[in-house]
Amino acid sequence: MATMHVNGERHEAPDNRRNLLSYLRYDLGLTGTKYGCGEGLCGACTVLVDGQPLKACLSTVGSVAGGQVTTIEGLANDGELHPVQQAFLDETALQCGYCIPGFIMTAAGLLDRVSHPTREQVREALAENMCRCGTYLRIERAVISAAEIANE
Amino acid sequence: MSEQETGGLVIQGPAALNFPPPSTGYARSAYGNVTPDFGPAPWVSVRPNGHVRVFAGKVEYGQGIRWGLAMAAAEELRVPLDVVEVVLGDTDRTPWDMGTFGSQSTRYTGVQVRKAAATARQALLVAASTTLDLPVEQLRCEGGAVTSASDPARTVSYAELVREHPGVRDLLEDVPVTPASDFAVMGHDTGRVDALDRVTGKAVYSQDVRRPGMLYAALLRPPSYGARLVSVDDTAASHMPGVVQVVQDGPVVGVLAESDEQAELGLSVLQAEWEERDDHISQWDLPAALAEHPHDPVTIQDDGDPERGLQRAAHTLEATYYIPYVSTVPMEPRAAVAEWDGDHLTVWAGTQRPFGIRGELAADLGIDESQIHVIAPELGGGFGAKSIYRPAFEAARLARTAGRPVRVAYSRQEEMAWTTFRPAALITIRSGFASDGALLAWDFNAIHTTTDRPMIGQRGSESPYTAPDRKVVVSSGPAPLRPGSYRSLGGAVNHFAREVHMDEIAQALSMDPVELRLKNLEDRRYRRVLETAAESFGWEPHTPGSGRGHGVALGWDVGSYAAECVEVRVRGKEVSVDRVSSAIDCGLVYNPEGIRNQMEGSIVMGLGTALYEGAEFEGGRLLNGSFARYRVPRINNVPDMDVAIVGDDNEPPTGAGEPGIVPIAPAIANAVYDVTGTRLRELPLQRHL
Repeated sequence: MATMHVNGERHEAPDNRRNLLSYLRYDLGLTGTKYGCGEGLCGACTVLVDGQPLKACLSTVGSVAGGQVTTIEGLANDGELHPVQQAFLDETALQCGYCIPGFIMTAAGLLDRVSHPTREQVREALAENMCRCGTYLRIERAVISAAEIANE
Repeated sequence: MSEQETGGLVIQGPAALNFPPPSTGYARSAYGNVTPDFGPAPWVSVRPNGHVRVFAGKVEYGQGIRWGLAMAAAEELRVPLDVVEVVLGDTDRTPWDMGTFGSQSTRYTGVQVRKAAATARQALLVAASTTLDLPVEQLRCEGGAVTSASDPARTVSYAELVREHPGVRDLLEDVPVTPASDFAVMGHDTGRVDALDRVTGKAVYSQDVRRPGMLYAALLRPPSYGARLVSVDDTAASHMPGVVQVVQDGPVVGVLAESDEQAELGLSVLQAEWEERDDHISQWDLPAALAEHPHDPVTIQDDGDPERGLQRAAHTLEATYYIPYVSTVPMEPRAAVAEWDGDHLTVWAGTQRPFGIRGELAADLGIDESQIHVIAPELGGGFGAKSIYRPAFEAARLARTAGRPVRVAYSRQEEMAWTTFRPAALITIRSGFASDGALLAWDFNAIHTTTDRPMIGQRGSESPYTAPDRKVVVSSGPAPLRPGSYRSLGGAVNHFAREVHMDEIAQALSMDPVELRLKNLEDRRYRRVLETAAESFGWEPHTPGSGRGHGVALGWDVGSYAAECVEVRVRGKEVSVDRVSSAIDCGLVYNPEGIRNQMEGSIVMGLGTALYEGAEFEGGRLLNGSFARYRVPRINNVPDMDVAIVGDDNEPPTGAGEPGIVPIAPAIANAVYDVTGTRLRELPLQRHL
């Protein structure tokens, strides 16, 4: 059994070996975190564990036991969007949107560590996230402007 | 048949727009016998609360159709965007639609929604004239109400009007729509209407659909293409924890379990015996197989006599180009949930053709279309390929046997190996030209691996360059991988060969490639996109020793014109595309921000096909069917991009989702030649550098 907090709520997962992405999506119904490849190569499944981005598809619930897991559903604070979410809206940094939760979680993790990332730092942090609609430049602009919003 | 929209004011009109499309018979050749429902069907309704609902059989896969249609309705009804709800892709609720492909949504559906909304506006004005006792000429629609032009106090809301005058009206074909000069919403940059759900994780895609009592399926796949199942032993699998049933229904064999992981574990111990084929064409053999076995040639362009033209020309060139299969790679692997209620079936399937899939399900299951309801949730990318949607059939068969709802969700590996590919092609071009660059003869011979879908290879094969003697012939050839739709179909493939060849002519004559193209283009719209892209790029002829290469290409797709100029650097085998200037003419502009988004996306997608992408296969097995071995562009591969939109308001709106991809691969190849002096005629470039 693994105990963890997901978006501030305490949960007990019965089987330590349960895949974290499957647990979040199908057992808890948090389908905002996406399956993209199951190999940790596209970033669609990125969540924050204790504030750090983690590829849920390669993790088990046991590996995050005792941790604070944040998914895209838990990122807004009391209905107020996280600066990264707001910036993605402002820049229309999305098309189909399937990869976007993963990008937003990765970017939120980056801004937690680096308050004013350079373009190169943004690119390096987001290089493991894949967007097939090709909205990368908008995503890059959104993350840089989110840093500005967050620091206001 | 569409469900009647009850309450409020409903505008109904013909469905099955542009069916079959003129000139090509595309729908029939592409998708077999579909049975269109020509309506009438509801297109727009003004609800009793004054909100507006739009209905369209199209689906949303990122192209922003919900956004575009909401803007059209908001414009014509003079309401804010946030009171417009757009209902898409639902066979019980929306007008029949052939499918969301070929960049037709704005061209046809958008026009229909404008007319329906303008009809509603006119009906509201007439109703308000009675209520306010004022002539229609003195009334105007504004902010969800009809108000006297001279006395703002005399006003009545849409909500009141439709409660007093509910009913169904016919769409007026000749209703005056708002002229572009008066646009307040359309033609302007607005926030995307469905973006909030996408940044908060609320948007529901096929992979996210869950139903009470739903079982998770893991499907048995053959070891190689075309393998025949000899026997299955499910003894071990059916005893695995959580496994409810192993179902074999015709060609579909699935392990059904209470969770996704249990289904996968069950599948891993399912014993199957296969008989594999031994006549597979591998990637290495494909170019030769295409050259040796073309069939069903279709003449696309036939002017004069190219043989005569080639003999007369001062200069001639002949070159052969090879474009491999590419995987589509939408971010969301296909998924479907099927649920039976007696003999009625509901399927949630993120397909680009909900109505077509309904018809095919009916045929596959031996039931009537009226017993089937197909709902398309959000699509996590499609790019044309999700017109073909196997999991809907697999889920429906498994659920029928199981007696419980069943979810079939493809893994990334299944999505890559068991869906479709953009066909490969071998293209030979012979050209003849004068010393001043005037093109005299053009002989274009393409063989695409398209089997039963030849229109994929025909798209974009016609040459825009004037020449007295021209012949373009497109044939089909052997197809070891299953062909499917892709952004621009084979348009980008044909453009690659043509636009690289134009560069080779410029090279042979030491002419500037922009100047050479302009010399051979009469169509004003081609010239304008090329001149615009070249100007925003700051085009200049080759500068030796700069370490940077410049390349240019242009093209046409879905009624729109596009040109792109690129700058690259090459280090070893890694090509970096640093900037792209593009221009598009797609006629009247509805949604400029949507167009820019689509152009950028097309450029990035085409960059992948230019530099990295190519399906590898041998012995009926896909060798690079995972992200570990199939590279697509990442954020650090993306160039700076600018997009100029240069269409005229008096030209009809044409597609914006696909034209951007047709010039990009040849422009990059031409730029790589510019900096390296190596002429590459085969994609992906990085594999051949």
